[in-house]
Amino acid sequence: MRKILVANRGEIAVRVIRACRDLGLASVAVYSECDRVSRHVRLADEAYAIGPNPPVDSYLHIGRLIAAARASGADAVHPGYGFLAENEAFAAACRDAGLTFIGPTPDVIALMGSKTAAREAAAAAGVPVVPGTDRRFDPAAPESVIAVEAERIGYPVLIKAVAGGGGKGMRTVAGPDELASAIRAARSEAGSAFGDAAIYLERRLVRPRHIEVQLLGDEHGTVLPFVERECSIQRRHQKVVEETPSPVVSSGLRDRITGAAADVARAVGYTGAGTIECLLDEEGQFYFLEMNTRLQVEHPITELVTGVDLVAWQIRIARGERLDLDPAALLTPRGHAIECRIYAEDPDAAFMPSPGRIAGLTAPGGPFVRDDSGAEAGGEVPIYYDPLISKLSAWGTDRPQAIARMQRALREYDIRGIRTTVPFFRWLLAQPSFQQGAFHTATLDELLQQRQGKPFSEPDEDDQEIAAVAAALHLMRRDARARLEPDTTYADLWQHVPRGSATDAASLLRRPGVGWKHQARREGLRG
Amino acid sequence: MTVEIEAASRSRSVRVARAGQGYDVTVDGRPLTVDAVRIGQLAWSLLVGPAGAGHGGGRSYDVGVLERAAGALTVYVNGRAVPVAVGGRRGGRRRAEPAGDATTGPQVVAAPMPGRVVKVLVKPGEAVGARQGLVVVEAMKMENELRASRAGTVREVRVVEGASVEANTVLVVVE
Repeated sequence: MRKILVANRGEIAVRVIRACRDLGLASVAVYSECDRVSRHVRLADEAYAIGPNPPVDSYLHIGRLIAAARASGADAVHPGYGFLAENEAFAAACRDAGLTFIGPTPDVIALMGSKTAAREAAAAAGVPVVPGTDRRFDPAAPESVIAVEAERIGYPVLIKAVAGGGGKGMRTVAGPDELASAIRAARSEAGSAFGDAAIYLERRLVRPRHIEVQLLGDEHGTVLPFVERECSIQRRHQKVVEETPSPVVSSGLRDRITGAAADVARAVGYTGAGTIECLLDEEGQFYFLEMNTRLQVEHPITELVTGVDLVAWQIRIARGERLDLDPAALLTPRGHAIECRIYAEDPDAAFMPSPGRIAGLTAPGGPFVRDDSGAEAGGEVPIYYDPLISKLSAWGTDRPQAIARMQRALREYDIRGIRTTVPFFRWLLAQPSFQQGAFHTATLDELLQQRQGKPFSEPDEDDQEIAAVAAALHLMRRDARARLEPDTTYADLWQHVPRGSATDAASLLRRPGVGWKHQARREGLRG
Repeated sequence: MTVEIEAASRSRSVRVARAGQGYDVTVDGRPLTVDAVRIGQLAWSLLVGPAGAGHGGGRSYDVGVLERAAGALTVYVNGRAVPVAVGGRRGGRRRAEPAGDATTGPQVVAAPMPGRVVKVLVKPGEAVGARQGLVVVEAMKMENELRASRAGTVREVRVVEGASVEANTVLVVVE
């Protein structure tokens, strides 16, 4: 293996290109029209155009990706996360084109991609699954049949999409009278998001935590689990903060949960990097939830507490190398790590995407801080893709130190021109429930509801005064240049507003069928 | 130069005068000493001290000024965004000119950029004073109040509330 095509964009493409360089391998980027000058394109050794901006025409277009791989002479393909990372047809197309797909086999991707088949595989490996239906309900399945199953499982139940993920096609049903409408809503959402309206039922656990286990499996039968990640801080079923180790997992529970996760992976012959997601209830009982057959967004925190380069190992495994890591060391975290997902979203406008030109950007650094970013000053956050711009991680010898360093880093993060979730994270990390580690998967939504829309960026008196001084200096400078007419108001002075991308993007977002959300549905999960 | 500046919806009167390498600034009458160095198109480094402290020292702020729309700025102060609205200028050269001189004829108030009319504040025939608000236009989620540049009578109102307008669309004519 000499040259790897990275079939992705943004921060994860940058991450993979860096791993290639660390291993002395050449890297090939691909780009849609709006990404011509994106960071990943300029960082890679080579780059090839793969089509127009909509993901289906570029980053999801298998034929064009394979053609780019051929044109560049790449011998392997890394899919990143999202886009085609969990698409068995893409993995098969790579294989058929003589390219090494850096990930599990198409069969395993297909098996774990079906939530019901994955549940069966987990149960067969002796791993507890959330009580629920063992089969899928096709779109034609009568509601009366589903109602009988719901009674058997016991309310409250969750309706979930068989092909699902990211909370799409998911509905909570408190009692029988809500069931019929929830089934219809879930089917319709699953159908449009995944092209598969099949659903299944699970019992809804009370105040569960989301705990997941990173795994690596090689082609020689070795599967090694890593210390768990805690991902319970979620907004509408999307992770926003992850940390490792979990503040509530004892070493005994760690042994059981990581052992069970490795059993599932071994049972299906898993190769490459993957993650088993579990729910942990208040009694300390854990249940298999699903398996992600790819690199996880939040992999950096595992790297920080174990010293293992997961992306480099994905590549080494794909080259046929043996895992020669010390299994005990992977389960013994060194210190504590936290990650915040910095999104181009406006936390003061219901977390609406905030695409546009990044007018200025100063990323934090310093001791034990890592910023995995694909953004830079002057760059654009396009409307077509997931608006993740950076993953900010901090490490400490213990949890309080990791939190303090993250707060320091968030204070330094200075992004101008677009709205980001940085002010939201500054608030979140100061919350007592976060600092005490006392939370479950619904905690953040509850905290947000209590705020009742109170803005996250409320400048204090000092900030306001300095802003007024800066604005006055700015006007004075403008005045000196513009030679004002005596009665000119500032509004009159406004002669030319650059028709920037932000305006265009904002108007595009309002066009039905073109918006970011629509694209996100087609693109699939946020990793 | 004195300007009225609305930072986070509270208005402040800011007077700026050059003083050697820096500036003497008063905010609502409170004097400050400001050392300001531009470090890019949009960015300044400010060292702010009390009056008489001498320039070149004080609290350190990284600030950025971004123009969002007519009279609407976002000022970043050490990474924290502060919305700022800038109204009509006051003082400075304007005060030296006798009001109304050399500026006769109708005032045509047009939209500075594409947006939506949020509020029409005047009716035809109404007398308006200088700098009185006429129309509020929302563009890119920021509301901008367009004001009369001098006193007069509203002759025409060409838009209604809720209307979408292109840049340079005439909104109000004052005579």
